[in-house]
Amino acid sequence: MTDVHILGIRHHGPGSAHSVAEALASLRPDLVLVEGPPELDQVIPLVTDPEMVPPVAGLIYAVDEPRLASFYPMAAFSPEWVAIRWALSTGKSVRAIDLPAAHTFALRAAEGRALAALTGSEEEEPPAATPEDGGVPAAVAAKPADVVEDFPTVVEDSPTIPQQAYRPDAIGMLAEAAGYSDAERWWEDAVEHRNTDPVERFEDLIDAITEIRAIDQRPVDHPDVLENSRREAAMRRLLRAAMREGHERIAVVCGAYHAPALVPAGFPSVSADNKVLAGLPKAKVAVTWVPWTSNRLSLGSGYGAGVTAPGWYQHLFAHWMAKDPTKDVATTWLVRVAHALRKENLDASTASIVEASRMATALAAVRGRPSPGLPELDDAAQTVLCDGSPLPLALVHRELTVGRELGNVPDSVPTLPLAADLTATQRKLRMKPSAMEEVMVLDLRKPNQLARSVLLHRLALLGVDWGQLTDTGRTTGTFKEAWTLLWKPELAVSLVEASRYGTTVASAAATFVSEQAQAAEGLPVLSRLLESCLLAELPDGIAGVVSALAERTALQQDVPPLLETMAPLARTCRYGNVRGVDVSDVRKILQATVVRACVGLPTACAGLDDDAAGVMRRAIDSAQDGLSILPELPLGDWHIALSAVAHSDSIHGSVAGRATRLLLDAGLVEGNDVASRLSRRLSIATPAPEAAAWLDGLLSGDATLLIHDRRLLQIVDEWVEGVHDDVFEDVLPLIRRTFSTFSRPERREIGEQLSRVGSTGVAVESSPMDLSGAGPALQTMAKILGWKAIA
Amino acid sequence: MTDAQNATEVLRAHAENAYADELSALDAVDDRPRPPSWRLSPWAVTTYILGGTLANGVQISPKYLGSERLVEIAVASLATDRALLLLGVPGTAKTWLGEHLAAAISGSSTLVVQGTAGTPEEALRYGWNYARLLADGPSRAAMVAGPVMRAMETGSLVRVEELTRIPSDVQDSLITILSEKTLPIPELNEEVQARKGFNVIATANNRDKGVNDLSSALRRRFNTVVLPLPDSIDQEVEIVTTRVRSLGESLELPADLAALSEIRRVVTVMRELRSGVTQDQRTTIKSPSATLSTAEAISVMTNGLSLAAHFGDGTVRAEDVAASLVGAVIKDPVQDRVIWQEYLETVVRNRPEWKDLYRACRDLESSN
Repeated sequence: MTDVHILGIRHHGPGSAHSVAEALASLRPDLVLVEGPPELDQVIPLVTDPEMVPPVAGLIYAVDEPRLASFYPMAAFSPEWVAIRWALSTGKSVRAIDLPAAHTFALRAAEGRALAALTGSEEEEPPAATPEDGGVPAAVAAKPADVVEDFPTVVEDSPTIPQQAYRPDAIGMLAEAAGYSDAERWWEDAVEHRNTDPVERFEDLIDAITEIRAIDQRPVDHPDVLENSRREAAMRRLLRAAMREGHERIAVVCGAYHAPALVPAGFPSVSADNKVLAGLPKAKVAVTWVPWTSNRLSLGSGYGAGVTAPGWYQHLFAHWMAKDPTKDVATTWLVRVAHALRKENLDASTASIVEASRMATALAAVRGRPSPGLPELDDAAQTVLCDGSPLPLALVHRELTVGRELGNVPDSVPTLPLAADLTATQRKLRMKPSAMEEVMVLDLRKPNQLARSVLLHRLALLGVDWGQLTDTGRTTGTFKEAWTLLWKPELAVSLVEASRYGTTVASAAATFVSEQAQAAEGLPVLSRLLESCLLAELPDGIAGVVSALAERTALQQDVPPLLETMAPLARTCRYGNVRGVDVSDVRKILQATVVRACVGLPTACAGLDDDAAGVMRRAIDSAQDGLSILPELPLGDWHIALSAVAHSDSIHGSVAGRATRLLLDAGLVEGNDVASRLSRRLSIATPAPEAAAWLDGLLSGDATLLIHDRRLLQIVDEWVEGVHDDVFEDVLPLIRRTFSTFSRPERREIGEQLSRVGSTGVAVESSPMDLSGAGPALQTMAKILGWKAIA
Repeated sequence: MTDAQNATEVLRAHAENAYADELSALDAVDDRPRPPSWRLSPWAVTTYILGGTLANGVQISPKYLGSERLVEIAVASLATDRALLLLGVPGTAKTWLGEHLAAAISGSSTLVVQGTAGTPEEALRYGWNYARLLADGPSRAAMVAGPVMRAMETGSLVRVEELTRIPSDVQDSLITILSEKTLPIPELNEEVQARKGFNVIATANNRDKGVNDLSSALRRRFNTVVLPLPDSIDQEVEIVTTRVRSLGESLELPADLAALSEIRRVVTVMRELRSGVTQDQRTTIKSPSATLSTAEAISVMTNGLSLAAHFGDGTVRAEDVAASLVGAVIKDPVQDRVIWQEYLETVVRNRPEWKDLYRACRDLESSN
């Protein structure tokens, strides 16, 4: 007869882990079963690899739909980790028992489909396979859930998380019965801090949880109950199979809530379990290990079954396992707190540590706890070491209580070619992923740093957001890039998702770009893609995008998209050569685009409402930006089109005003001409809002026009004075908006000029220029420009 | 005359007299270990401060409404031999908490040194009965023990109020007392050694920071607990209601406090002016120079209560609180007046249900 021991634990509980270690040492089972989908069996042996450093997470994902993924995080103090390590190091077998992830994912995908069907999604594919076949349609129209949403299943069932309506909070109820407000503290006191025989400890717990489970009143078809019964049936099925194999003694390490369901004496019949598990759909899954971070383990990061203080738990566990009676867990912790405070240049003397330690013990006694826990230590540190202020402690908290560890997995774990390529590239470029946010400034003139930039751009294209482009600071040079790097564990899933595009970062990015180019809806998307190709050095990708672009521009009817395409295209032409890309095709497309846009512009500007005019104006501005960086491009057509827009009185003021301004900047309209147009546009017959829109189009950007041309300013001033009272309130916000874009000194200058105008009635001529004073500056300037000095 | 009679006749009874019955009820049920010369166990002290129901059904009224954690830290500090420093802005119940802690732990809250700018060293150590000194020369009989020395001799708690008002050199005479637990008497070549149970509760005001800041040597000997202003308006209203009711009883004011809305209104005004923003977080307002703590709200309400009782019909109305409310807010006659008027016109006036308060405050202005 097989002897089965159920060790019901709290996930990530260092006390549970310690008890499990002790219980295993005294039981010496020949088979250890841990809670987790059986797919994990393939990678469990890797746990003892010397390069495996927790925290790590088992990652299981659906091969056809990598978005369906689950993490099974384990820290050094996780009971499952301890159990696996014990079994592997003593040569015993170890296996995972739970509902196979193949079923979980298929069920979840089916739920997604049901949801999509409910919302009447058009893209729904007909279910290709019935659940009995075990097949699942390749493209599941599941809602685009990100990974975080179906985050970690191991622990989704963790009974210590009260906010989950998953199943009754067993530990919470036990804690409440014992008069504790916080379930975590109860567990620490009543189970983890108690020094009874480890095996008995777990047996007592089963009885308590049985009572808790008995009062669950929810119907059997409640989704949570259903899922739980499936999982427990699957666990029992695997346990039965193990028992039949003739092992003498089996230890099962599972979440405390499941413990009563796994006691063989209380098993339901085999057929009952089979009935629950019959006909479940199946998906193809793959499994691997990925590095995890201690920050991700903490509750604060939104991880459901997280613990409040991974760093503290690590400390507790290390202390218990060291079994050094000369060291006190509270004192060693406070020493670490003091060290962290000193690192922040805060005083923390040795004498104060002694006092804090005594204070923590006294506080524990006042609160009726057997020994000081983290709350007591925090309170003691705050009161004794930090003069009662919570701020210094907050500094320590991130560093110490949560911790910044990033785990490591050996090279031998099954990885996707893409991930392996990324690792190799990272190593080559000496970029180490870190769980701490760091800023990297790259000088693109250096080959190695350029390669880093290219890698980050490619990853960004693939949706692996390791780096975020940030402000480079005060430099305007284009050779510098600043990235904020932060490796998040869930990026592993993004990598898996991206792996369907290719086996190396470069090829995957290129394929991704061409695919996007085929699917892209509008021209602006395409041209932006073109630009990212340039940054990510994807010549293959560029070819695909350019051909798609040529096709689309020919078919494009709308003018604003054409205009918006011009700037990215122009940038590609301008800088493409620098990066070694053949841009002749791009230039051809650009020229064709300019012609098309110019032809359509005047008609497209007619009959616009305010919103459409705003869009058009932005498009025109962006096109102008693009054209201005290619001085060799003939701009005749463009200016003709603009002047057609500027001269027409039927075009929306904002657009017409803008066109006038661009022509003025290009030197194609005289100042006098502008003044007369302004006065006409602002004359009494024009409705005030329209006049204001025109003014906005003309003036927005920079204020030099108004500052240096007194006539314009005077016309504007007179117009504002003459605006009728009842429309003044409508016009005011428009004018305000125009002027608010000017800088403060510019506004002051305008204000000063206006006050002078007001006092004398005529514009005061500025003092004549002092040429002799300006002489040296002019000469220097001439020297710089290579001109000959005249005087 | 017994303590109980005493408690009803004096204007303000000591905590240990006013709550004598609660203390003895706690003493009766308290079976937990008590630190040397403590009257109650730390658990019972915490219960006395925070209130609760005992196993035998006796109700203990809460003395301090606020974080349980802070009270536990304070009690635990006193249970070690570290002195306790209660820090906070005026009106955060520092003295109140200190008094009740002393009453519950030592059974007496009368050993007090009031810190002032002129507190001499004798107040912290000992003085002399000069007639005896001249007649008999220096001897123990000619000494006049200060509160600290008496506390050391009896093993009880002594309170030092407003520690940071005391000149620095006088403050530092506490260092030997706190670290060596002895008080040397060089005149007699003797010393007083503190008995078990002796400890110091000091209060200090962080508004006075920098006046006579504690030297780091002294600061290191204190465990610091910062008492915050109440977090929520409900909690603050509860504190004001409880305190005003008990004050009203001891002043024998017949007025009833059914008009809870008046308390809520006063507390709202105080909180808004203190935080510089209205409750709905929509309007920014200026903060006056006054602290406007809970204690201020209590005194405004008590004042209103007494006005209503003696000159009105016993119900507290807007007119009754207006005068003392204005007095509490306007501490600087020029700047604070502007701030108050701004608040009155921009906030109070726009609340229809506050019309009576607005009118009462305006009437007050015009009569001035």
